[in-house]
Amino acid sequence: MFDVLIRGGLVVDGSGAPGRVADVAVNEGRIVAVEPHIDGGARRTLEAAGRVVSPGFIDPHTHFDVQLLWDGAAKPALEHGVTAVVPGNCSLSLAPLKAKDRAALVGMFQQIEELPPAAFTEAFEWTWEDFAGYRAAVEPGLQVNVAPLVGHSLIRLWVMGADANRRAATADEISAMQDLLRASLDAGAVGLSTSFIDVDENGRPVPSRFAPFSELDALAAVLGERGERMLQVVPEFYDTDITIARIDQLADLSLRHGIPTTFSPVFDSRLTPDNVPRTMARVEEQFARGARVWPQMQTRPIDISFSLLRPSLFFGRLPRWVRVLRQPLETRLASLRDPSVTDRMLADCGPDGGAAMMSELVVRGGDAAPAALVGMTLGEIARQRDESCARALINLSLEHGLDVAFVAASRGHDDTGRIGPMLAHPLMHIGASDGGAHLASFATYGDTGYLFSEFVRKAGALTLEAAVKKITSDTAQIWGLKDRGRLARGQAADVVVFDPATIGRGEERPEFDMPGDGMRYVRDAIGVDAVVVNGQIVREGGRYTDARPGEFCGVS
Amino acid sequence: MPLSRQRRFVTPGPEETLEALAARALPEEPLEAALERVRGWNLHIFGMRQPRGLLLGSDVVFVEPPLA
Repeated sequence: MFDVLIRGGLVVDGSGAPGRVADVAVNEGRIVAVEPHIDGGARRTLEAAGRVVSPGFIDPHTHFDVQLLWDGAAKPALEHGVTAVVPGNCSLSLAPLKAKDRAALVGMFQQIEELPPAAFTEAFEWTWEDFAGYRAAVEPGLQVNVAPLVGHSLIRLWVMGADANRRAATADEISAMQDLLRASLDAGAVGLSTSFIDVDENGRPVPSRFAPFSELDALAAVLGERGERMLQVVPEFYDTDITIARIDQLADLSLRHGIPTTFSPVFDSRLTPDNVPRTMARVEEQFARGARVWPQMQTRPIDISFSLLRPSLFFGRLPRWVRVLRQPLETRLASLRDPSVTDRMLADCGPDGGAAMMSELVVRGGDAAPAALVGMTLGEIARQRDESCARALINLSLEHGLDVAFVAASRGHDDTGRIGPMLAHPLMHIGASDGGAHLASFATYGDTGYLFSEFVRKAGALTLEAAVKKITSDTAQIWGLKDRGRLARGQAADVVVFDPATIGRGEERPEFDMPGDGMRYVRDAIGVDAVVVNGQIVREGGRYTDARPGEFCGVS
Repeated sequence: MPLSRQRRFVTPGPEETLEALAARALPEEPLEAALERVRGWNLHIFGMRQPRGLLLGSDVVFVEPPLA
């Protein structure tokens, strides 16, 4: 008697081999057989004729650290077929962190991930300081598997306190950071993340950016000592020369310490069409030397939505706007009605009144926006009102209680004909979803569905088997995740059953399910019939089950 | 496969000042000229950053202009 038997599906096993019709049997959390026909009963049988049966998808760049404390499924990631996530990217994790430093971390998470403050005060009890304590708090509720990174900024903060974002560390402090990293890895972290670009809520660089290369080298030595653990960085992706310099640094660390490294994001853009080709040329050169420097690229185009109800990534280069949008609602309304404030905000937008930045914004609808304006550009609206774009944005928002959402569509990375071959490149690591972050700016869910709908079915840039391999066994191998990413006997039974003709992502829509009635943009899954994690069905028939089989992934 | 030539850069040493870095990177140049060149080649530090010119330990500092 098997625990689960999945019958008659097209098994695409993650190896890249052609799919074949077969049954998949699962017992005690493991795949025990993949055969053309398996006899024997099962406690649960999933009929999969006409469907693809594949390993669960692995998302290697997320920020679900906080959400996992109240939502062990990392919704809606799991319903898209994602059975393992890597949180803790970009130098930020939820441990190790002393209680006295929590406010500093919350500020960074708010700035970088757009998490509402209530996420830290209403949704969980903050009981831990070290990484083992975080694991103990989060693991019992998991439906999805987790392979967390530990954040460099937190390690600095723990050891150096307020000096973490002021100065270089002493030799003793670096030694203490190494010990803390060792303890975190031993408690379940799969690697270390750092950032060369992020800032806190005051616009000040996060602690990891104050670390000289020698400090990163010392921490990378620990990653090597503990067995090929991953180093993740977010580089200055807006500049190809700097990105290439970072690739060279990562390659040196990879070769010196025998570790894999990854950087994200890598974007394609019409403004810098040679960015990805130059980046990949350098990656190829470094791999030829034996270094492992994996670039991560997201599948989805860059669309940013926002209203003046919340701070948004859209205003990242306008610090004054960000400061105003972070004020409590009544204060913010007063600020936006105060010409002495708005005149300065408008001045920050440049002599064109924000036209270059804002004229192509489109009114989304579905909120307080007048129906007649839905679908119009802000440039059109500004001309009608005889106002500058920035002024029209503020005034129109004020007239409707700030509840007017705009979308900045196709801000780059949207040329399928160019991006398809980039995703198919053997050294391109598909990821960088940012799942669980930038909640009020765009939906970070459904990139896997979009891979199949846009780049397999529509463009034919990858075969079905190649696409599955990219987001399952390739990811598991790059990260050293033990027994993940393949449908083969002895592997962990993380399985997705999906319709290859329809799998995709739904329209982006606002969802008000964050703590404190916080809003985020989400996309529903399309064409995913069932999801199995560690041998237990967690999603079936459009519903989540009560099973909590998720765990911290081991590394090989 | 040999590595192709890319734009040369240095990284700051612990607590290294911009003056010390410029003198190290461009030893043949008078200090003021070296500083001016380093500033001009690194707009990500001296043009885009707030506060402007804050040198961070993790910075990549280019010591030549973009390659043609």
